[in-house]
Amino acid sequence: MLLDQLKTIVGDKGWVTDPEALEPFLSEWRDSFHGRAAIVVMPGSSGEVAAVVRACAASGTSIVPQGGNTGLCGGAIPDATGTQVLLSLSRMNRIRALSPADYSMVVEAGCVLADVQAAAAEVDRLFPLSLAAEGSCQIGGNLSTNAGGTNVVRYGTAREQVLGLEVVLANGDIWDGLRTLRKDTSGYDIRQLFIGAEGTLGIITAASLRLFPRPGTLQTALVAVRDPQAAVDLFAVLRGRLSDQVQAFELISDRAMRYVLKHIPDTRCVFAEASPWYVLLEFSTSAAGEAVEHELLQVIESGLAQDVVLAKNSREQQQMWRIRHSISEAQKREGASLKHDVSVPVGAVGEFIVAAEKAILQTFPGARVVAFGHVGDGNVHFNVSQAKSADASHFLQQRDAMASLVYDIVAKFGGSFSAEHGIGALKRDALREYRSETEIAVMRAVKKALDPHNVMNPGKVL
Amino acid sequence: MEKILVGLKRVVDYNVRVRVRSDGNGIETDGVKMSINPFDEIALEEALRIKERGEASEVIVVSIGPSEAQQQLRTGLAMGADRAILIESAEPVDPLSGARVFLELVNREQPGLVLLGKQAIDNDNNQAGQMLAAIWGCPQATFASKIDIQGSTATVTREVDIGLETIEIELPAVITTDLRLNEPRYVKLPDIMKAKKKPLDITPIADLGVEMASAYTNVAFDPPEQRTKGVMVQDVAGLVDALKDKGLI
Ligand SMILES: Cc1cc2nc3c(=O)[nH]c(=O)nc-3n(C[C@H](O)[C@H](O)[C@H](O)COP(=O)(O)OP(=O)(O)OC[C@H]3O[C@@H](n4cnc5c(N)ncnc54)[C@H](O)[C@@H]3O)c2cc1C
Repeated sequence: MLLDQLKTIVGDKGWVTDPEALEPFLSEWRDSFHGRAAIVVMPGSSGEVAAVVRACAASGTSIVPQGGNTGLCGGAIPDATGTQVLLSLSRMNRIRALSPADYSMVVEAGCVLADVQAAAAEVDRLFPLSLAAEGSCQIGGNLSTNAGGTNVVRYGTAREQVLGLEVVLANGDIWDGLRTLRKDTSGYDIRQLFIGAEGTLGIITAASLRLFPRPGTLQTALVAVRDPQAAVDLFAVLRGRLSDQVQAFELISDRAMRYVLKHIPDTRCVFAEASPWYVLLEFSTSAAGEAVEHELLQVIESGLAQDVVLAKNSREQQQMWRIRHSISEAQKREGASLKHDVSVPVGAVGEFIVAAEKAILQTFPGARVVAFGHVGDGNVHFNVSQAKSADASHFLQQRDAMASLVYDIVAKFGGSFSAEHGIGALKRDALREYRSETEIAVMRAVKKALDPHNVMNPGKVL
Repeated sequence: MEKILVGLKRVVDYNVRVRVRSDGNGIETDGVKMSINPFDEIALEEALRIKERGEASEVIVVSIGPSEAQQQLRTGLAMGADRAILIESAEPVDPLSGARVFLELVNREQPGLVLLGKQAIDNDNNQAGQMLAAIWGCPQATFASKIDIQGSTATVTREVDIGLETIEIELPAVITTDLRLNEPRYVKLPDIMKAKKKPLDITPIADLGVEMASAYTNVAFDPPEQRTKGVMVQDVAGLVDALKDKGLI
């Protein structure tokens, strides 16, 4: 009955029930989550989303919104009952407005991030959000996970890119908050609730986004540093001297580098001699290219950096970024891995990595730590590959034990066990453990107020 | 041999989407990322490798272009060239005039080898190397994907339509480089700083006394036609119908 109703709402192009065609929607990129569903609906408009929500709510059926399905915590995957309705935003991929003069654009939730970036570039503007999954992930997913990525150090997370939202609420109402205002103090800023809510409070159907002037020419450099602490110190020095010119500051361990060079085709070594750690640095230059070179030379002379290679053209820039973006893929080829997306205060990144690696090796001998991440944001992807000889499934069974070990150390540094990938189905226990009762109670109150019948992505976050 | 002369042209970086200038008289280069023409960078890399094998003693990079082309020459020096010559010209130089400029420099420097890119990615002319060889009266080997120097001969593998062709030429000669010849090296910051102290000689093009008659004039610049969006067809019959609709079959 409900299925027929849904099919009528979204029309012929808007649904999938064939089990084989459903499969890609039901499992996650890393294969760690599988769910079941009888139907995927793909509404073509906010009106259709609202009608789907009303129909589901009336029949007591819950909804799992899905964007590009690149999330890493199972948030977009339905549960095992097969009763949930999967709602994919991918057909809502229109750019509704683009205003270079206002430095803003209004896009539908299903727009792929790379397409949004390209549309902005077309009118000589920058949409700064950028992450390795940008060819597949969607704006709705980016906002719902408050995604970070590589430009946060200069432009902030997804949250900071949002001027307004259009959201379909749990009761099927459409809230049109697609304002493009920079200043607006009219009551609670409710758009913030939906950003990072992972689909548990409502379905984002469109967003008005903030655009920036395109930065001057971007320069990319790979810097060899002795240890993570040197990277942190280097960041402090360069940020101080170059302020807003630093666009990305990514730490890469030698092990991550080696795995990329070994497993990913068309990658090549940048330095003739390996360094224990590297920083991928990107900065914008106006006429001041020379000044930056000078600063970089000084950090070599002061011993903070061992060596610096500056990309001399965009091909080399792409080669350097390809190394950074291929780490996850390369690590996959080294067997099973357990991943921890954590953040600590920027100044503590060095100490944290050392402390956590030591603890891991004590408890899990032979495990291989592959640490990398956005040092400029205090965000470390503290990933651990199985020991070479170990059994993959046995290693994976230690997920919780390893997570507790890492998260306890994170907590000691005043950090977060979830920096940019969200909670989803994966980290609900951690949320309860590492956040205060008071904080959880407020979250529950918000959930109850906006989604009293628990229709929106139940079993996720809380 | 003593010297190798390498041409380095300043071009819009290959990854930039070029736009036609609003006056329609060329392409927009203001605030656009500029680089060494990729084939020229390969030529320089090859020259440096020849020198590092002890088969040449000096690598000289040459650019014909605006004052800003000093940046590309400095990059060439950072890669390892010994000195640089800028023949300064605010206006673009056509291939024949460029070849004449090179001939003048060849007469002054007497190199054993001139290495050029097979073409510059801005105008895609693919002419300068061939023209230089002709007016210099020396052998040429174009589209090189492998170069071997023994004394005064060079064995060059060329990428031609039907496969690979290997030829032997007497030096001095002109060799133009193809994409697969090598992968240019990265440059380290300390080398960039050192390169600032290497000699870079600037000569206005008018001072060379080279005839600059342009064989052609540019009539218009137009952006390529926008591609229309593709359509999905269900099956072969649908494809045939769609092609018939467009009058293509
Ligand atoms: C190779 C790779 C690299 C990555 N790098 C980064 C990185 O650097 N930084 C980072 O932050 N993340 C990164 N991620 C994680 C992921 O790409 C981001 O979380 C991304 O924002 C998810 O977008 P998506 O469209 O794929 O969302 P999905 O995975 O489809 O969904 C994610 C969550 O949002 C909900 N959701 C999706 N769309 C909507 C909507 N319209 N309304 C309401 N809820 C919705 C889903 O229910 C789910 O809970 C990476 C992932 C991969 C595979």
